[in-house]
Parts: sequence; structure tokens; C-alpha cells
Amino acid sequence: MTWVVATVAGSLGAALRYLVGGAVQRRGRGTLPVGTAAVNLTGAFVLGVILGTGHSGWPWIAAAAVMGGFTTFSTWMVETVALGVVPRPSLRAVINLYGLAALGVLVVALGYYSTN
Amino acid sequence: MSNSVTNHRGERPARVPAGLAAMAAVIAGGLVGSGMRAAALLRWPAAPGAFPVSTLAINLAGAFLLGLFLARRQRSVAGPRSVQFWAIGVLGSFTTFSLFSLEIFELLDGGHAAVGLAHAAASTLGGVALAILGARLGEVGQ
Repeated sequence: MTWVVATVAGSLGAALRYLVGGAVQRRGRGTLPVGTAAVNLTGAFVLGVILGTGHSGWPWIAAAAVMGGFTTFSTWMVETVALGVVPRPSLRAVINLYGLAALGVLVVALGYYSTN
Repeated sequence: MSNSVTNHRGERPARVPAGLAAMAAVIAGGLVGSGMRAAALLRWPAAPGAFPVSTLAINLAGAFLLGLFLARRQRSVAGPRSVQFWAIGVLGSFTTFSLFSLEIFELLDGGHAAVGLAHAAASTLGGVALAILGARLGEVGQ
């Protein structure tokens, strides 16, 4: 049952990522992949909020699973590589990789402590 | 007769609006990717304070496969629907940034800083390396 809820909720998250990520990316003028960054940071923040509430019922499991499908690791990695990492990493690639990794943990903490 | 219902790639022309068809492809792929991720995480959950091996394996596999898929697609005639299904749907939702960030936070918060930093380093460095490896293999495999 948990698997069914998580699977359906995750695909809903994928649809939201497609809509929101695309919309943000089209608005971004620069060359940084801001669409992926926006969905990933939003999703990490919301997951932190969910963790902070301490709830574990179905609605919370479903919400956490939506965030699992909403955020993405694979696109983040491929976009980082596209910013230039070989033979030497570009500054933009480093910022996209480590900046987003650090911000991700930070927004989880913000979400967690805003509700806990 | 068959030419009237298929285009030059042998596909049927879209009978639904492109936006709806794209969304359907993402959702269908999302079911596959989320289903596989949920199954793996439920089968092999990470113990508190322990290294989140499942999440790392999922994310690294997804980064490798996405690099491979996109490199192969560059030299094929695969249409946007395959990108929406495989790249955005399946691999996009198989991998996860939110859980990755949450696990590092929990490890740091729970006094397991070394494990948390190891998870972050293995995921970022390994993810980039495997995305490149996938892309290289996709290029030579044509």
C-alpha cells in the first residue's frame, strides 16, 4: 500500500517538476540551470517541513513521495557536466554542484526548524 | 495505407494536443521511476546514522543512465516524447535531490558528520563521474 501511494505521488511530483522547472527555466536569462535548482530547493525545503512536523500518516507519506518525484538528482548531474567539468571544472559547474548541495541541506534545516 | 497513419519515423501522428501528450509521457515515466525508487527504498531502508547506500546507488545509477541516454539520443532520431518519458519521467523521478539533502541534514544533525559528508562527496563526485562515463559510453556505442 505504501508502495502504491509513493509511486502515484511520485509521478504527480514528476508532472509538477515538468511544469514548474520548465516555467522557471524559460524565465531565467542566464545559462545556469535555474529550473532544476528551483524545483530541487523547493522540494528539499518542503521535505524538511514534513520531517519537522513529525507526522507519519498517509497524507504526509504521500507529500514526501511527491517531493521525491518532484526533485531530481540525475538532471542536476548531467546539467553540471554540461556547464563544463572536463578537463578543468568551470566556476559555474562548481557553483551548480556544491552551491546547490549546500543550499539543499540548508533549506532542509530551514524547513525542519520552522516546524519543529 | 500504412503511410497515411504513420510519419517518416513510423510513428502515428499525435491525435492529442502536444502539451497533453508530453504530460502523459512524463507521468507514465514518473510512475516507472517512482515505483522503482520506492520499491528499492522500502526494501533496503537506511538505518539511522548509517550510510544511505540505497539513495546513493539510486542516484548514481540514474546519473549514469541519463548521461548514456542523452548521448545516444543525440545521434538517433528519438523524438521529444522519449526524452519526456525516459529522461524527465523515469530517470528524473527515480533519482531524488530532496531525500539526498534530507539524509545529509539528518546525519549532520544526529552527530554523524563524517557519514553525512561522505554521502555528499560520494554523491556529487560520483554522480558527475558516472554522468560523464555514461555519456562517453553512449558516444562510442553508436
